[in-house]
Amino acid sequence: PGSPAGAGQGPGPRAPAVAILPPLCHNVADRPAPERAPGGSREEPMGERTFAEDVKQLGYGAGQVLRGEGILAITKALLQSGISYVGGYPGAPVSHLLDVLADADEPLLRPLGIYFEQSGSEAAAAALLGASINYPMRGAVTWKSVVGTNVASDALSHVASAGVIGGALVVIGEDYGEGASILQERTHSAALKSSIPLIDPRNSLPSFARFVEEGFGLSEACHEPVFFSIRIRACHMRGQLVCRDNVRPAISMLTPLGAPSFSLDRINLPPATYAMEAQKFERRLPAARRYIVERGLNEHHPGSESRIGLVMQGGLWNTTVRGLHLLGLADLQGRTPVPLLVLNVLHPTVPEELLAFLRGKRQVLVLEEGMPNYLEQELKALAHEARLDVEIHGKDLLSPHGEYVPQLVLRGLTRFLEGAPLEVVSPGEVGERYRRLVGHQEGIRRVLPRPVAKRPPTFCTGCPERPVFSAMKILREREPAVGDTHVAHDIGCSTFSTQAPFNVGHSVLGYGMGLASAGAVAPNFAKRVISVMGDGGFWHNGLNNGVASAVFNQQDSVLVILDNGYAAATGQHHVPSTGTNARRQPTGMTIQEALRGVGVRWIRTVNAYRIPALLGTLREALTTRDEGLKVIVARGECQLERQRRERPRRRQLVAAGRQVVQPRFGVDPDVCTGDHSCMRLNGCPSLTLRPSPDPLRDDPVASVDDTCVGCGVCGEVAHAAVLCPSFYEVRVIHNPSRWRRLLGRMRRAVIARLATA
Amino acid sequence: MSDGRLHTILIPAVGGQGGGVLAEWLVDAAVAAGHLAHGTSIPGVAQRTGSTTYYVEIFEGESPPAFSLYPVPGALDVLLAPEFMEVGRAVEQGFPSPERTTIIASTHRLYSIHEKMPTGDARYPAEDLESAARAFSRALIAFDALAVAREHGTEVNAVLLGALAGSQVLPIPAEAYRQAIRAKGVQVDANLRGFEVGTQLATQRPALGAPDGKRPLRSAPGFAGALEPMPAPLRPLVAEALARLVDYQDPAYAQLYLRRLAPFVGPGGDPELVAHVARSLALWMTYEDGIRVADLKTRASRFERIRREARAGDAEIVVTDYLKPDLDELYGVLPHRLVAPLARWAERRWPHGRPTFGQHVKTTTVLGFLRLWLLARLKRWRPVSYRARAEHARMERWLSAVRRCLDRDRALAVEVARAAQLVKGYGEVRRRLTGLVEDLLERVLRADALEAQAGHDAEVATRLAARYRALVLAGPEQEPRAVALAADVVAALERGDRAAALAALGDSA
Repeated sequence: PGSPAGAGQGPGPRAPAVAILPPLCHNVADRPAPERAPGGSREEPMGERTFAEDVKQLGYGAGQVLRGEGILAITKALLQSGISYVGGYPGAPVSHLLDVLADADEPLLRPLGIYFEQSGSEAAAAALLGASINYPMRGAVTWKSVVGTNVASDALSHVASAGVIGGALVVIGEDYGEGASILQERTHSAALKSSIPLIDPRNSLPSFARFVEEGFGLSEACHEPVFFSIRIRACHMRGQLVCRDNVRPAISMLTPLGAPSFSLDRINLPPATYAMEAQKFERRLPAARRYIVERGLNEHHPGSESRIGLVMQGGLWNTTVRGLHLLGLADLQGRTPVPLLVLNVLHPTVPEELLAFLRGKRQVLVLEEGMPNYLEQELKALAHEARLDVEIHGKDLLSPHGEYVPQLVLRGLTRFLEGAPLEVVSPGEVGERYRRLVGHQEGIRRVLPRPVAKRPPTFCTGCPERPVFSAMKILREREPAVGDTHVAHDIGCSTFSTQAPFNVGHSVLGYGMGLASAGAVAPNFAKRVISVMGDGGFWHNGLNNGVASAVFNQQDSVLVILDNGYAAATGQHHVPSTGTNARRQPTGMTIQEALRGVGVRWIRTVNAYRIPALLGTLREALTTRDEGLKVIVARGECQLERQRRERPRRRQLVAAGRQVVQPRFGVDPDVCTGDHSCMRLNGCPSLTLRPSPDPLRDDPVASVDDTCVGCGVCGEVAHAAVLCPSFYEVRVIHNPSRWRRLLGRMRRAVIARLATA
Repeated sequence: MSDGRLHTILIPAVGGQGGGVLAEWLVDAAVAAGHLAHGTSIPGVAQRTGSTTYYVEIFEGESPPAFSLYPVPGALDVLLAPEFMEVGRAVEQGFPSPERTTIIASTHRLYSIHEKMPTGDARYPAEDLESAARAFSRALIAFDALAVAREHGTEVNAVLLGALAGSQVLPIPAEAYRQAIRAKGVQVDANLRGFEVGTQLATQRPALGAPDGKRPLRSAPGFAGALEPMPAPLRPLVAEALARLVDYQDPAYAQLYLRRLAPFVGPGGDPELVAHVARSLALWMTYEDGIRVADLKTRASRFERIRREARAGDAEIVVTDYLKPDLDELYGVLPHRLVAPLARWAERRWPHGRPTFGQHVKTTTVLGFLRLWLLARLKRWRPVSYRARAEHARMERWLSAVRRCLDRDRALAVEVARAAQLVKGYGEVRRRLTGLVEDLLERVLRADALEAQAGHDAEVATRLAARYRALVLAGPEQEPRAVALAADVVAALERGDRAAALAALGDSA
């Protein structure tokens, strides 16, 4: 095992499952590119779901009512704003935007002449906005923030410095707080440093649509690109929107530009850069403030509790007024006697607006997520300069960090209101309502003495990445001298290997950064170190900053690339090695050729489902005398995508009476003694526990449930780690041929004579 | 000052369970019923089999409300849970409240990896989840929706949607739900089927609790006389054990079992102790050697079970068994005389990880079946096999340890008897675990002896035995701790520092 020849081929009899569901077609070496696309044919749309219904709604005209998620309303608003181009890099919570546009490209975007691309990275997406520097083109890009914004920063700063003449919008998926999948930072500071206006609208589909359209207006008014920030739950909130007509852009692929436009003032080089910096503060931001006031983008709701007030980010309005409602200070519509200042634009703020709100108030609470608390600080500074006698609270009553979920906001509001000079309601009543709301929580530990078991995310049933980490864990435990080494990990589904049961991976430093983050560990480590990368990370950043840099610096280490055909974590988005791009055009790019191109000599391609081959190849890579970078490409198509394709197909075939072989795995409950070793090396969701049928045994035994897709990994693990003989594969042959039936009958006859009851 | 009425529904699901579809059905049904509705979720990575939640708000009234994107603890009308531990999680986070919340849940479990990994039974106690669901709801509708779904060829979320409709806690007529299911257009018939079943179940309010799936105890014809002197409550257990031993070897082997059990039964026999010994001895004496595995894998009942579990119907099946005996297991089934020298050499040559012989046997083909069937025929030579000798020697050491401890202290004897629970697994795993059992016995006996010398009771030894077993059952990561703890405790007693020994046991908790 381990030889590229042995491994590269489709699996032999020892990986039955993959033998039957034929392996990802690009598992078979050297197929021409177009055929390599697992999801590549035109009738198979990209991504986790198909959006036929959504695409239809994107075509709606004035007065029609769109029903769907917030992100769909935003996408519709882009089309209503007359964009000439749109792009981005997928990532929750804004992947949906690219998914829908990919499906809409042919029916909707091309007829309007709008250019769409799924960019190679957020940096490439940000650079798209360069089109709006010289030409009056509206354009939008999107990515997951803050990580995407970090990747995009270089291009973004340059666009923000040169300024734009066409409206440029960046739809930021603020992946912050509950359900976030990345490190916790807010995008606010990025907006401040580059003088990019930041919109954080209150949450409803009409509000999203309005502020997208205002975003373009704002951008054109102040000649800066604009951040439109939207939170996770807001992206996925389902509601409705009354549409307007889509607008055909003046400049488009159908009506292209004829001549270039040059101006030294737009070149990011001194002396222009000094002028640009001056412009930001002398012209652009003041213009933005004027636009904000003229268009009434921020909302001031006066109220009879005139001595207090709440200042909040637009995105926190819903939670805040629901909190006030539960405390008896607002109705369900959000009408409240408490004065509110809702800042739908967080940057730039308008000092006059803020002061006008502060005047005459005794106590004000600022609801602002994360640190630093820019709004709170600014309000305090303004109040001080204006010599206003007003107490300004914020982080002292609310949490300094974390998403402002209702429990947090309610507690903060209660603290604030209990000490506030209220006129309409009594502070005592507020406290009373709060205690009634949370009172029941005291009894929790009485009924649940033990904390409920955590449920870390893990690889899906049949995932081709799981066996790779099973192999790495087996090697670590059985051959520590070789296998128990540092593993520099990366971003993607594969990051789940850092969780139970594998706990493989010592650091996670960013998308495509796996190999780069081993750069200073490898030379300072007594063993060869391993780094891991998904195919998504490889193309995003890993090829250049990882592989090229490691070859350049002659790093002697092992890189494992998980090639499952997609950026799977974001929802099976196409990557260059998928075979086709987001518009389903064949690309003909492969990981191996890219590796050779940057000078990698030691490359092995292994079928991810074959643990013996993986073990052999890993051992070889870790022990070979060859110095330099050794790359193992573990191939197997994302099982989620494969099942989405195969299941319906299989159902049809069975219904049509065709012979279909369907594998799944099982455990003999009498043979299994319940030591659960298999769970510790596998962790497949379909490999679970059941009570032992044996009346003498108390501990549960292993069992494979109905969700099994027959990938064969549990059997391979039991085999490779020499666990137990309990696992078996059963191939169910639907609509067996006459010959098969006859054979089966004969076999059963013989076996029946011999078998004991 | 408020107009209209708001209904809040939280769906705590496990990624991949179809919680999203359930939420969308609900929103669409509410809209179909003429209400304003909105829903949201936190997918992202949690969708990949982690805990993930979906939240829906439905508004009866004219002017649109300010929808909240988050559920508010204590302000929840319905908790709709497609998995039972997620109910516990929601309770832990304070969402459902006894005054307001109706809990509609499936009682089936999708076990967390942390419940699966330990060597023993780490499943979260279902009783706790049930009492939590009762204590934190004004009404509870809970049943195994997965079993129901399987029975009717449908999905859990459809059944739960039906249960929600049947509960009538929301102002949505059943027809509106059906409409939503049809409109979605996925697996419409199956989902409607599930919906109807769920609706009925909700009105019937079925009882909680699933069957334990245990095989009924067998009787032992021909051993009536032997069972007679046993205390009545013990007889069914011993009968099962005897039936098992006859099935494993022969009646003579069952007699040996009775002889080994005898010292613990009879007058003054401690029922708890006897139960433990009877159970563990039966399991140990029917240790899984190659012969046993081949025997179990070639039974007619096995192929029936596989067909049933694979829902094969009238389809053909091909079964491939993944076998990988190591050297021990091979010479283990051969006569001791023959292989003892080889075995001793092999154990020196490969102290860990003996050579293995992987094979994939197609047990549903004639030749494949014969390979296992013939192996099973070696049964009659098992008593003289190399493995038999080793295993019985170990059993004897364990039994004598229990007897010795019984003279000293009943509780200690029980703990030592329970150590046999750790005898599990195959090949390397079994060697590791039996090794730990031997270490446990040695350390505990030593500790006991030291306590006896010092004229103390057997507290340290008893607690050591219990703690040692608990640590090993917690999983391989804890095994070194168990060994180290035992060493420390014994060392402390040898120093005559009993306090230190007790302290070590105390803070190792």
